[in-house]
Amino acid sequence: MTTGAKTSTTGLLKGAAGAWLWDVPAGLLFGDARFADLYGQPAEAAAAGLPTDAFFASIHPDDHMRIRIAVAGVMHGADHFAKEYRLRLEDGAVRWVSAMGRADRDADHRVIAFQGVLADITEQKRVEERLRVAQSAGGVGTFEYVSGFGTVDVSHQFCRLLGLTPTDVLALRAINATLTSGQPLLIGEADGAAGRDEYREFEIVRADSGERRWIARRGERLNDGPGGAERFIGAIHDITPFKSAEAKLLELTATLEERVAERTKERDRVWDNSRDLLVVVDADGVYRAASPAWFRLLGFRPEELVGRPYTEFVEPEDLSASAAVFAEAVKERSLGNFENRHRHKDGGWRWISWQTSTEDGLVYGYGRDVTEEKLRAEALSQTESQLRQAQKMEAVGQLTGGLAHDFNNMLTGIIGGLDLVRRRIAEGRLGDLDRFMDGAVKSAHRAAGLTHRLLAFSRQQSLDPQAVDVRGLIVSMQDLLNRTLGEQVALKVVFADQVWPAVSDVNQLESAILNLAINARDAMPDGGLLTIAARNSIFDTERASGHPEIASGDYVEISVADTGQGMPSDVVAKAFDPFFTTKPIGQGTGLGLSMIYGFVRQIGGHAAIDSEVGKGTTIRMFLPRATPGQLVQESVEPEAASGAGSGETVLVIEDEDSVRALIVEVLSELGYRALEASSSVTALPHLRSDQPIDLVITDVGLPGLNGRQLAAMARELRPGLGILFVTGYAPTAAVRADFLAPGMDMISKPFAMNDLAAKIGEMLARSPTA
Amino acid sequence: MSTPAVDLSELEHDALTELVNIGVSRAAASLRNMVGEQVTLSVPSVEVVSRKAAAILIHEREAGELVAVRQDFEGAFSGRALLIFPQSNSLALVKAVTGDELAAVEVEAMESEALSETGNVVLNGCLATMANMLRRPLTMSLQQVLRGDGALFFELAERTDDNGVVLFLYINFSISGRDIRGYIAMLMDLPSLEALKVLIGEFIERVMGVDDLGALA
Repeated sequence: MTTGAKTSTTGLLKGAAGAWLWDVPAGLLFGDARFADLYGQPAEAAAAGLPTDAFFASIHPDDHMRIRIAVAGVMHGADHFAKEYRLRLEDGAVRWVSAMGRADRDADHRVIAFQGVLADITEQKRVEERLRVAQSAGGVGTFEYVSGFGTVDVSHQFCRLLGLTPTDVLALRAINATLTSGQPLLIGEADGAAGRDEYREFEIVRADSGERRWIARRGERLNDGPGGAERFIGAIHDITPFKSAEAKLLELTATLEERVAERTKERDRVWDNSRDLLVVVDADGVYRAASPAWFRLLGFRPEELVGRPYTEFVEPEDLSASAAVFAEAVKERSLGNFENRHRHKDGGWRWISWQTSTEDGLVYGYGRDVTEEKLRAEALSQTESQLRQAQKMEAVGQLTGGLAHDFNNMLTGIIGGLDLVRRRIAEGRLGDLDRFMDGAVKSAHRAAGLTHRLLAFSRQQSLDPQAVDVRGLIVSMQDLLNRTLGEQVALKVVFADQVWPAVSDVNQLESAILNLAINARDAMPDGGLLTIAARNSIFDTERASGHPEIASGDYVEISVADTGQGMPSDVVAKAFDPFFTTKPIGQGTGLGLSMIYGFVRQIGGHAAIDSEVGKGTTIRMFLPRATPGQLVQESVEPEAASGAGSGETVLVIEDEDSVRALIVEVLSELGYRALEASSSVTALPHLRSDQPIDLVITDVGLPGLNGRQLAAMARELRPGLGILFVTGYAPTAAVRADFLAPGMDMISKPFAMNDLAAKIGEMLARSPTA
Repeated sequence: MSTPAVDLSELEHDALTELVNIGVSRAAASLRNMVGEQVTLSVPSVEVVSRKAAAILIHEREAGELVAVRQDFEGAFSGRALLIFPQSNSLALVKAVTGDELAAVEVEAMESEALSETGNVVLNGCLATMANMLRRPLTMSLQQVLRGDGALFFELAERTDDNGVVLFLYINFSISGRDIRGYIAMLMDLPSLEALKVLIGEFIERVMGVDDLGALA
């Protein structure tokens, strides 16, 4: 069926093939031994001539008709007989045979003989079968091409691979027409030396679907064709999936390169354009690479840096710190925000803040110029301190204004009073002098009170904490408060059934309550109700934990509440700040609340504000409860002292002449003998002398040996000697109890003469020497 | 391949192939007489396909320009016979037929005539033999040379319906090793193919009915 036409069938072949000759006129079939063997006939009978129907007798029933028709064709004029068919042998076995025959005719075209050869192709059939299965399973198509022919013998699979209708023979052109343009021929004459044909890949367009596919061809060229012609046999298979995978891989590779290039470009851009210093330093501290930013920031070109150690470029003062940090960085400890100074080529320095990361023994550094930031920070800090100074000056201005206002009022009272007294004395009108004198003294006392308050504010006030009967104190102040508040403000005083005695300083507490009352009055310009209340308040551990500013314990709570306009929260937050005032400059010192706060804190208590706009303000003072041992001191008016002394000797040491003279004068008037000294140095001879000294009155703030040191020496020389300190303030001991040993006392300047007399009298009365 | 409306059985197919084989053998003998050289024609492969499929087959197997010799026939079955060559083969065929004695210019000048004559010998030999075998006379028209592609050849001018089928014969011509190949195609409509089928059946019956094959001669 395949290429029978190409091999001429001349003569009878011996050996593997059996030959037959059908003598038509004689009606006999002659066969050789091999033919007889294949047809299962006795060789002798075949040689002698068989009946012609013996030709069909052994043919398998399925092929019988086919072969009969084919033989009929020969008998009727067909030249060729080329058939494959099965013979069934006597033992039941089936053999495939290939028969090639031709008709011999006479001049009239009548058939004389039908002769041919017969070959057993059973094995070949099996091989073909296997090949067919293999081709179809493996997708491999085979071809055989004899040089010079226009057609190619192909397998069906070959046709299917090219999208052609399965057939056994294809035109060479038809095969090559499936190729896309610009390719060598899929099958053609050898383009090189004969022999093994190289592996080739071809792109084709499938004839049926128009789909583009890739085909691989392998083949061999053998010079064994008819007449020595070249025979090209080979196989093709579809490699499109490999090709597309390969294409994808190629594309991936290409895009990978593209991506890498892009990334490299990006990296280079970062390296070149970064405003920060980028540098690679090896483990020895030598620059391996530096970015162009070095030139912009420090004036060094990268090539001037590479190969040199970083130590050449770092400010010498920063070297040791830099070396320590670099050693850490080399150990792969990334560091951040390390700052050092780098040399600029122009001789200056720049502050650089470094971040590093380490990889493969190389330290990658990223340095930011923070010089400007540093300068700005410095400038900012200067500006801040200037601002603080300005605020301080403003506060001082506020304070001075307020103080001047208050003092002017008081001085007006004093000067005016004294002026009137002098005039009256000059006019001889002595009758009503006390009134003016009292007014002046009262003003002076108020001035003294103001300085006390200032000291309390600065917490340098000498307090005299004692157990105070708060209820009694408030009751005693009621008249004063009523007068101060005026007619429009009603006063209400509320006490709990029992109020503990509180640790306080009577004068300061009075002052505080008065101050709060005045503030409250000012907060109620249209009148209202002022409530002063006192009650016990216990801060157990739990309650105190909610108020970190207050220690747990028992307290006496004094509250002063008004029904005034209240304060917004931002004012509340600043109300205890010194110099904070809502009043215009000159109308208040702004120290009221802060002084109260200072005083309360100093005695171990606490103060709090509760206020809301439109709902009034309540100030609460929490004073520590006095322990039972502390006596409740009644506030007593000092007795008028006159002629109390009886010749006792009092040594007065005071560097301020006027004060010393005044004290000496008072002592003389009271009947004491006074010794004077203006300093510790001049006082010591008195103390060392044998003359009796009953009491020493000394200023605390003396030049040279101060009052306390002098007192200590005096006590050494004369143990038990009474000592009364006179002080403007007590800077080293705010609380007198810490300051004073037994037999010592203190009086604050300024003092009334009566107070001084009372104190002296009191001390001398206690004195063991008296 | 699309299934034609008329389906030949395997045996009918074999018988038809054999009929064509006989016809082609006769045609080859005539051709041999013309060229005076050894002419070998392969055992034909026969396919019955639709006209469209035939065009595709032709297109698949011959991508280039084609030349065809056409001859219509009429009788018990009617249709059109075509001998188709690749255009590139035609001159070689002409040269073979004219015995390589003519100059190239002359060959070109008489190409159509030579082709026409060759077509007449082949087609006439083939068809007449088949008609004889089927015991039905056929009237042949004058041959005509066509150039173009397969689709053009398979148009039946008189009929535009698509019921026509093509008896598609593939024959490899080989003339003294020259690279010449061609196809014989027979276009028939359904009634003609039905008629042919009947005639083939009769042929088979005749062949089988005679035990003594020698008597067939």
